[in-house]
Amino acid sequence: MESFYVLKKSDLDRFIRQLSRSRKVVAPVSRGVKNFVFAEVTSAAQISIQSIPTILPPKKYFMPQCEKIQEFNREIHQWNPVVEANGEVVLFGVHTCDLAGIQFLNTVMDVVPRDVNYAVHKQKIVVIGLECNDYCDEYASCRVMKNHLPNGGYDLFLTELKDVFMVHGGSAAGEKIVKEAGIFLKPDAAHKKELEDIRKKKEMIFKDEVNVKREDLRGVFERSVQSDVWENLGGRCVACGNCTNVCPTCYCFDIKDELDLNLKTGCRTRIWDSCQNEEFAKVAGGESFRHNRGQRQRHRFMRKFTYPVGKFSVYACTGCGRCSRTCMAKINLKETINELAGAVK
Amino acid sequence: MSANSVLESPYVVKAGKILRAKQLTGLEKYFEIELPGREDLGHEPGQFVMISVPGAGEVPISVSSSPWKKGAFELVIRRAGGVTSALHQLGAGDVVGIRGPYGRGFPTRVLEGKNLLMIGGGCGTIPLRSLITYVLDNRDRFGEVNILVGYKSPEMILFKDEFDAWGQKRDVFTDMTVDRVGPGWQGKVGLITKLISPLQIDPQKTYAVVVGPPIMYKFVIQELLKKKIPEDQIIVSMERHMKCGVGKCGHCQIAQYYCCQDGPVFTFKEIRNFYEAI
Amino acid sequence: MGNPRVAFFDFSSCEGCQLQVANMGEDLLAVLGAIDVVEFREVMSEKGEYDVAVIEGSITTSHDVERIKKIRAKAKVLIAYGSCATTGGVNGMKNNFELDDIRNYVYQKAAKYFETIPTRAVHQVVPVDYSVNGCPVYLPEFVKVLKCALAGIPYKVPDHAVCVECKLNENECMYDKGLTCLGPVTKAGCNSWCVNNNNVCYGCRGMVTNPAENGAKDILAKHDIPIEWVENKMNMYNKAREFDKKEEDHGKKC
Repeated sequence: MESFYVLKKSDLDRFIRQLSRSRKVVAPVSRGVKNFVFAEVTSAAQISIQSIPTILPPKKYFMPQCEKIQEFNREIHQWNPVVEANGEVVLFGVHTCDLAGIQFLNTVMDVVPRDVNYAVHKQKIVVIGLECNDYCDEYASCRVMKNHLPNGGYDLFLTELKDVFMVHGGSAAGEKIVKEAGIFLKPDAAHKKELEDIRKKKEMIFKDEVNVKREDLRGVFERSVQSDVWENLGGRCVACGNCTNVCPTCYCFDIKDELDLNLKTGCRTRIWDSCQNEEFAKVAGGESFRHNRGQRQRHRFMRKFTYPVGKFSVYACTGCGRCSRTCMAKINLKETINELAGAVK
Repeated sequence: MSANSVLESPYVVKAGKILRAKQLTGLEKYFEIELPGREDLGHEPGQFVMISVPGAGEVPISVSSSPWKKGAFELVIRRAGGVTSALHQLGAGDVVGIRGPYGRGFPTRVLEGKNLLMIGGGCGTIPLRSLITYVLDNRDRFGEVNILVGYKSPEMILFKDEFDAWGQKRDVFTDMTVDRVGPGWQGKVGLITKLISPLQIDPQKTYAVVVGPPIMYKFVIQELLKKKIPEDQIIVSMERHMKCGVGKCGHCQIAQYYCCQDGPVFTFKEIRNFYEAI
Repeated sequence: MGNPRVAFFDFSSCEGCQLQVANMGEDLLAVLGAIDVVEFREVMSEKGEYDVAVIEGSITTSHDVERIKKIRAKAKVLIAYGSCATTGGVNGMKNNFELDDIRNYVYQKAAKYFETIPTRAVHQVVPVDYSVNGCPVYLPEFVKVLKCALAGIPYKVPDHAVCVECKLNENECMYDKGLTCLGPVTKAGCNSWCVNNNNVCYGCRGMVTNPAENGAKDILAKHDIPIEWVENKMNMYNKAREFDKKEEDHGKKC
């Protein structure tokens, strides 16, 4: 039986307050004029329900920007792996694009040898999704990536109706939260009709954002290896790394050591890294295998639209639009796809 | 222990004790390393380990010794960056961190019964030595054995004594060249490609194994193709920047391949079409 | 064996970096547990032998050249810290002018008593083992470098943009606020210190080695920012970079 519930909008604040008493609750909050970030909240008023995707995606809770993975002692030659695990975290208000991002990272990090740090963080995270009833802005391409509708990856999933949130239970952990809260009701036929109407309306609003069908994207990129488009992007890109740092499916990292002041003990950390950075593909002798910025941009796109399809049978682009939104040089994913598609025809 | 025990972390490091260390050239230093309890590393020729100096960091280094060597393994490390500079300061008795071995090594099973043309350029002879010693330890399992090595200059030559000893064997052909002469150099001068053309080989029965700097691959592979060696019988080992060694960090990616897991050894056929590969 | 003896020396600078170090408080005490400071003008004045020389300031006179060479000869390890020492810093602005003009402008009648040479960073005169860029230095990085120096471990200044750290800190982009920020072309390592505190990046850590100059101009054009204005801004800390460029060209020919 499908487990649907409704949460009265007037009860949202009570729900968030209840949750935040026993767990850390994080949700999109406003930062500055145009930006939002996932940050800790204790009441509904702090949450930006209507938000464009946050600066960083929720991956920062699964794989923190900088994370200790080992402690060592140089004197007694000891190395101990560590996971700095926090308590339980509830991610509230995760859009469907970001749910897809989390699912992608789950797949990648689970490949043997499994990333234990990621797995431990994941175990402590409860994900509460939130449906977008309309486009967030013009950068999104969630329809073509089939991420404008929920495809799992959540413990609970909320859709905003007129007076209530329709809530779908996606896991035992989600059901537990519903039970604990004691303020979730059973939906009636009118609620279900309202949800159906919203989904129908969404099919009218959300249209493929590029001139290529989802199933043809891989082919377009595979045939574009030698395209002039990359050179053009290379000329515009300043290699600031914004596009990859904000990407919900980028997971490349660097590993660095730092000694404590006693110079005997220290720790090894992993830090997000970017294939757009000058040093990324440089070997010790100084040779870089992707020296120019055009090659690096191509690499980034190929890692979204071709390589993961071969490896995991899934596109790594979620359509969230963050890379285009944040690009200093206004390199736009939708435009790039259309240019490539136009050229290979 | 929970299902997510931190001890299962792929980043767990073992203490490796340096038994012997010796400066081979101005840039390269040899290390013999023993794992706790004299445990065997269990590597295949062509595989690498991640070696760390706590505080400085971790780098991938090819294993240079034969898997048949028991109780310890050998690395030869070129001083090129921060971690390798820190490694060069270490000597016998010092301890480093070791994890691995990682990656796909040379396909020793496939090579059995075949004629071998092993070509090493510069520090490419370091991983190649692992294969050469493996082959010579099992000489009867292989056909003809040709070993060609090239160095920039006589001071850069690695494993000179061993190379001479291989050449003394009746059933092994060796040849060496340097790009630039140095004082007292009596040997050949010129690029390594010059050593390939005079060789009489049966291309269908021959597997060429090439390890060297990126620039060398282009020219050597051209020469091998001229000799009509099939593309899937040309085997190369690729050098890439690596941070994790376990297919996660993204640094070593060549098209869809992770050099650390799918490589570092590839056939030319596999990588021929990949831009950025060679 | 005693602690390594560390001496701080200053050349053309405001001594603000030394002040930063003196203001470190608890961290300073911890550092002092690991080293013996033998010369430190901001907090004491004791002369003597030393193992590690920490240099602040740029090289702007021929007397400076001789002095830094002597220090280099004596020190086992030499650390350049602060923008003046690592990139030439604001002193590099002098290189925009004819030396005599600028000398007369500054010293007027007494100009003849003050000989001057074009501003250079320390590494443009003697080999430098460690660099801590920034105006002033970012203390966590300074401590990190000091630890590396004491442990004999190399440290490399990051060669990617400040944007990388800024994004990881989830700051609202200055360009979204309509401001010009040098983050995209400036070397990271400061944890986007200024932007975290609502200020733009002034490029004090020096430009990345391979800046995308065309791309950067494109961006500015899109934001209606005059290029000369930004060039002035970039030159504020980066003028002495020209000496690096010459060396690179020279290196290629060899």
